[in-house]
Amino acid sequence: MAFLRRPLLLLLLVTHQFLQLWIASGSVNEEGQKQEEFYEELLLKPLPDRKVLTHFHFQSSAPPSTSNGRHHHLFPKAISQLVQKFRVKEMELSFTQGRWNYESWGGFDSIPSSNAKPPGVELWAVFDVPQHLIDALWKNLTHTLSGLFCASINFLESSTSYSAPEWSFPPALGNLRYGTLPREAVCTENLTPWMKLLPCRDKAGISMLLDRPSIYRGFYHSQRLHLTSTGFSSEGMDLGIILEQTLTVVLQPNIQRASLARTSEKHIQPSWSLSSIFGKEVNGKCVLAETSNVYLLLDRSLVAELKQLHKENEKSAEIVLTSENFWTNSNFELSAKPDRIFIEESSLLSKNSSILYKFEIEKYSEFKPFDLGLTWKIPVGWMCQQAPLHASRFLMGSGNERGAIAISLISTQPSEGSMGANFDGERCELRVDVFQVVPWYVKVYFHSLQVFVDQQPKAVSDIIGTIHVSPSKDKVSPGVMELALKLPCNVSSAALTIEFDKGFLHIDEYPPDANQGFDIPSAIVSFPNFHASMVFLENDYLNKSPLLSKFQEKSPVMSYTEVLLVPLTTPDFSMPYNVITITCTVFALYFGSLLNALRRRVAEEERFLKEKAAKKTGRIPLLLSKLSAKLRGRRPEPPHPPPGSSSLVNSKLVLKVVLVAGLAVCWQYYIS
Amino acid sequence: MAEISEANDSDSSELQDNGSEAPQRPESEPDFDPKLMRKTKPGLKRLVLTFSVLFSFLLGFPFLWKSVEIYRSPLPFREIDSLSTQLRSDNLLFPLHFHALFVGFDHDPDHLRRSILLEITKLTSQNPKCSNSYTLSVNVDLGSHCLHSPVSSPHSSSYPCGSVTATDFVQNDDVAVDERLVSVFGGKTKEYIVAVVKGGSERAVVGKHRHAWMVVGGGRKVEVAAVKVAELLVKLFINGGREEGSIRNEFMPVGADGKIVLSFNLLNADPLDWVYDWDFEKIDDTLLAPMIEALGPVANISVESQVLYHTPKASFSFWNQKLESYVFSTKDLPFFVNSNEWHLDTSIAAGGRSNILQFAVYVPSAKECPLLLQLPNGEISKTNGFISPMWGGVIVWNPQGCLNDSEFEPSAKNIIPIQDLENMFEVFIGQFRQLFGFKSVNVYAGASGDWNLLPSERGFTEWELDVLSRQHTCFNLHSCATTLVSLSRLVQSLPRMIIMDDIGKQVKFSLEAAKLALSNASSGAYESSAAASSQARSLAEDAFFHPSIMSVSYYSFEHCFAVYSPFFLPVSMHVVLAALRELRRYKQEKAKYLVWKAKANTSS
Repeated sequence: MAFLRRPLLLLLLVTHQFLQLWIASGSVNEEGQKQEEFYEELLLKPLPDRKVLTHFHFQSSAPPSTSNGRHHHLFPKAISQLVQKFRVKEMELSFTQGRWNYESWGGFDSIPSSNAKPPGVELWAVFDVPQHLIDALWKNLTHTLSGLFCASINFLESSTSYSAPEWSFPPALGNLRYGTLPREAVCTENLTPWMKLLPCRDKAGISMLLDRPSIYRGFYHSQRLHLTSTGFSSEGMDLGIILEQTLTVVLQPNIQRASLARTSEKHIQPSWSLSSIFGKEVNGKCVLAETSNVYLLLDRSLVAELKQLHKENEKSAEIVLTSENFWTNSNFELSAKPDRIFIEESSLLSKNSSILYKFEIEKYSEFKPFDLGLTWKIPVGWMCQQAPLHASRFLMGSGNERGAIAISLISTQPSEGSMGANFDGERCELRVDVFQVVPWYVKVYFHSLQVFVDQQPKAVSDIIGTIHVSPSKDKVSPGVMELALKLPCNVSSAALTIEFDKGFLHIDEYPPDANQGFDIPSAIVSFPNFHASMVFLENDYLNKSPLLSKFQEKSPVMSYTEVLLVPLTTPDFSMPYNVITITCTVFALYFGSLLNALRRRVAEEERFLKEKAAKKTGRIPLLLSKLSAKLRGRRPEPPHPPPGSSSLVNSKLVLKVVLVAGLAVCWQYYIS
Repeated sequence: MAEISEANDSDSSELQDNGSEAPQRPESEPDFDPKLMRKTKPGLKRLVLTFSVLFSFLLGFPFLWKSVEIYRSPLPFREIDSLSTQLRSDNLLFPLHFHALFVGFDHDPDHLRRSILLEITKLTSQNPKCSNSYTLSVNVDLGSHCLHSPVSSPHSSSYPCGSVTATDFVQNDDVAVDERLVSVFGGKTKEYIVAVVKGGSERAVVGKHRHAWMVVGGGRKVEVAAVKVAELLVKLFINGGREEGSIRNEFMPVGADGKIVLSFNLLNADPLDWVYDWDFEKIDDTLLAPMIEALGPVANISVESQVLYHTPKASFSFWNQKLESYVFSTKDLPFFVNSNEWHLDTSIAAGGRSNILQFAVYVPSAKECPLLLQLPNGEISKTNGFISPMWGGVIVWNPQGCLNDSEFEPSAKNIIPIQDLENMFEVFIGQFRQLFGFKSVNVYAGASGDWNLLPSERGFTEWELDVLSRQHTCFNLHSCATTLVSLSRLVQSLPRMIIMDDIGKQVKFSLEAAKLALSNASSGAYESSAAASSQARSLAEDAFFHPSIMSVSYYSFEHCFAVYSPFFLPVSMHVVLAALRELRRYKQEKAKYLVWKAKANTSS
């Protein structure tokens, strides 16, 4: 674990300088003025679970100039105007469908740590304005982006849906706003405006491969737009912008029947080609691009596995994989001859290094389209490099009242203590940052935070180094929790639980599909002491490839957890009207009876009844009185008015009771 | 409570004596029928009670009405109507001052003035929207002294006699003559001056400022000159040389917030053949900046540019052997602009309601190069471009390489030569003028002869800017009035629509600005009137498009009824029925009492 404790500052400085160097080394025209540039690159990588990762990387840059935002030659005008108008220093917008499978697709490379994104939309932006102006700019920015990308990013406008992380989010620079929309459906209408920002769109070059049906059939796709503006002077006049657009797609190649037929090769990796996974080929480069390359990356562990296989044979693998006929070796065969091979500088982490084959699209044309194919000859199995801990998150508890969120971190290292290999008496620590945003209607009790390490409850203060909490305010802001955990290196599992109460929303605040539940956005788990980077030799080429220089950057390893779905109590939405109706009815009854009572003339009514009775003693009351008298064993009294009134009332009462009973019977009958 | 018990007591006592009397009555008074008469006065308590409940209910209704009333800021409907009728009926009057100077003639100025005025009234067509009131002063310069008409005109007296002579107009350099006139009359005067000079070769020129001059041959009659002068004043100085009905006169491509965004696009149809770039920044500084500055009073203009690739046109062109080029005919022009592939985005920077004019340079691909546009009469368009009102303009630019299919290096980055670019932008400026309704040629062919128009290096001459600013004011005021009238109609048609205070304020300020613009216009302050009118228009649009109008556009009466009817229907039924019954009973009882009383009277 010594490398963990090494000062990383130096490395960071180097990267920073490198970035500046790269920015400065843009091509220069006759007048010494830098030009706008565009690069297109594609990285292909076989994944262990018979899938293929394709990673498109487009980069446009506008050098610092006074005319930025007004006059452009290659750079998209809309983006430049956006940067100018909203004073964006750095911004990232991603649209993702599907979930990156950290276990089988790896979690340590540059690709997953910067391109694996939570499902839906994620947007963060850093502004170059004083604090009090940021929120207004953010709101306008969300509206503009929502118009630009045909998405409902404008829902991030409300202060309940975005937050301002202090330090745990990697580009922690202050002035940052972060928001996600986990339920946003991502489709072609978002991809088309994204493509419009490329000078060649999907008419030429690598982007021709972007066949909509194949992309959206994939297991995971994430379309990302990252922009950095450099040299923001205080006046904001001269600024350069680097726009990086990436599309990461994980696809399953169609398994050819021929290979399936051979039962002995059941476990062989599927062979694929560009035309078989995208249904298209590359007809030459986009003429506007400075470079147009396709790379095939073989993972460290895959290379190790291949070497191992070779050792069983005779020759040294190192020679075979990189020598002249490397592309038709006994393990696999490439359908095109690579123009260059890069071998990764051996990193401290592993003795193995990955191999990168480079294909220059410039050499291909409409008559000789580029179609890279990879055919496996022998079965290979390997594991991608994992992040030190695998993070997952789930809900605990039941019912509509309360619950708990649990984040579990499980060591990916097979044997315990392998991470702390050189642990010599000194306490070795593994730092993990957790950034979690919870909507205000999930009321988290921060005091209930519990930490378990290796299934043992631990004191919170022992494990958590720094904690920053901003509690949610009802209908104003979400709750933000930033934790820096210090775990022992030989940890095999760790878990965090925190309890919450489910809040009640106002009837207007429910979405149309309230019964579906409410999303809690993904938590971000990052490992600030681990950096994913791949350094390839041949430095003169690096200056020309933004993708490889991206790989060289030390990006901290981070992963996103699952999105949680919390069911909240949903009201009967017709309730307000029902309440109104029933209250009004009660009031009306009260009023009516009061009024009747007020104007009632009891004596007069009695007299009236008496008269009536005197005039016409009905047969039934007579019979009834006779009957009752008989029952009582007295002789039938003549219906004398004063005592008769009681029997009269009685008979009426009986009638009423009978009527009500009959109604009840009918009611019962019809109900059943 | 006390009242009730009291009422019960009194009533029961009343009834009691009724009841106690009842059995005795037949004996004591044989003709007393308890069904028809009574001895006591009927009680009023219950009647009063039920009616007081009824009245308190009725009194409560206004309060309820008030409580469920939605907030509607009072809008000045009457003032809006009066503004629109004022604009519709008596036309906006812009005062103009003309000054005709006759050099080398010895005619009676009054006679000349009368004949010019006669011609002017003949020519002035009744413009339904805006018109002008004009004053004319005529000056006959005899070298030594001048003759004025009208004598007391403040405009003609400022002219120093004999400062313009026929020799000034001998030289052929029109620009120099224009400068000479400016130095004589001063460039800042608001009056329009036309100088008629007797001289050699006939010429008629309109300068860059507010001056025009014509040299009349010796033998020509002065009446002919008067006709021509009148035409100049009406057709050029008043109407800006536009033909009636070509583009709607009141139309202005200026956004509601007084902004125009000029978006220039270079479209490379197929970058695989060739890629052209341009040095737009240079052109922006040299050619566009002066024009934008000149148009400042009328519109706030900003310029953007971008280069787009893979942008084929939407329709086909045909190879013409004779011209050795591809020809695109006028009837296909609506299909030239390919809205699927030309991503001429609206500008984020502009926002709001500014108007965007797109100008596109189309670089055809090798398959269709050179591409020429054909006019309906079969000729080839000289500018190779066209405009689309409200939208902008397109120019087709054929790269040099494709004309002489020489060794052309494909897919290399080329820059459009600066000379071509300048020509292109001259065409664009012409197109821009056309979008404003002006002519893009330098000759005005009137009924009585041609006028040469001196072009300004700023794109628009001063007298054209005057026309624009008058027209802008007129258009703004009419559009403001229309918006306000439709707003008031909308508000009146939806009685349950919430109207925020903001809207009321905006309408009020808009009306005030419109009135200010009207009064400024009639006093001749064009600039302030244009500013006030555009403010009036933008405020009116703000009020009309206020977000609160959109949100809860109806809190309907049905809704209100559905909420309150469960209470009010049963209660009101009770109350009204009780009141009616009590009233009926009281009448009945009173009649009985009266019958008894009458009987008692007769018997006693």
